[in-house]
Amino acid sequence: MDVQEAVAEGTASVDNGEVKRDGRKQFSMGPGDILEGKLIYDGSIHADGKVEGEVRVSGNIDVASGASVRALLEGANVTLKGQVEGAVTARDKLTLGKNAKLSGDIVVRRLQIDDGATLNGHVRMGDFESHTSGQ
Amino acid sequence: MSPTRPVSNGANGQANSVVLGPKDRLVGQLFIEGDLHVSGTVDGSLEATGDIEITGSGKVNGAVTAYNRLVVGSDASLIGGDVRVARLTVEDGATFSGKVSMGKPEPKAVDEPEQVVQPKAKRR
Repeated sequence: MDVQEAVAEGTASVDNGEVKRDGRKQFSMGPGDILEGKLIYDGSIHADGKVEGEVRVSGNIDVASGASVRALLEGANVTLKGQVEGAVTARDKLTLGKNAKLSGDIVVRRLQIDDGATLNGHVRMGDFESHTSGQ
Repeated sequence: MSPTRPVSNGANGQANSVVLGPKDRLVGQLFIEGDLHVSGTVDGSLEATGDIEITGSGKVNGAVTAYNRLVVGSDASLIGGDVRVARLTVEDGATFSGKVSMGKPEPKAVDEPEQVVQPKAKRR
């Protein structure tokens, strides 16, 4: 958990990874991309490849099936299809796809776990105290 | 669908399935050799050697252990306990909180390892 306040380093940069979709920013990583450090992003992220550290976004987080993530994740809708180690906060909904493997504590408003997914950790469901009201 | 082992209760070798309907209520502990369907209210802990399904407006407050599969339906609720299951499905809309442990089914050891009889202390 001793992640330094490092700027996103590695092969995925905002410049070459950014795609506009529905007027919202999307940070899109490919299977060979690596993100290490802390990313705070106003938009959504499609995470693939390897992610380590901390990712907090205003939009959605989507972890691809081949991805390997060891990070704290926070987003509105979080959809996991790959392997994730770390705490996950979904201000709206967390979805664990059938091949998802999650080890970590989760805080969610809504939760969907598909058959086949693996979860190890504490689940807390409820409202969120002090977040920018994005309702 | 999956190669679940046949679940039988000891009495007649038939697959066993217990249903707690919407108006049923259980306070305490329940162990079932077989499957368990809950659409009523349970305050306490449940353990089944097969599947446990909490459906309809079923509410469970307590620990749940299913050696095979746990399903929490979209209007159902499972709160507060330790959840130990091999497979887990939580439908969107369900209320679900607690500590979840998944992995290989790990039924509690039924046969306690026998106490090794200590050889009598040698006398001087």
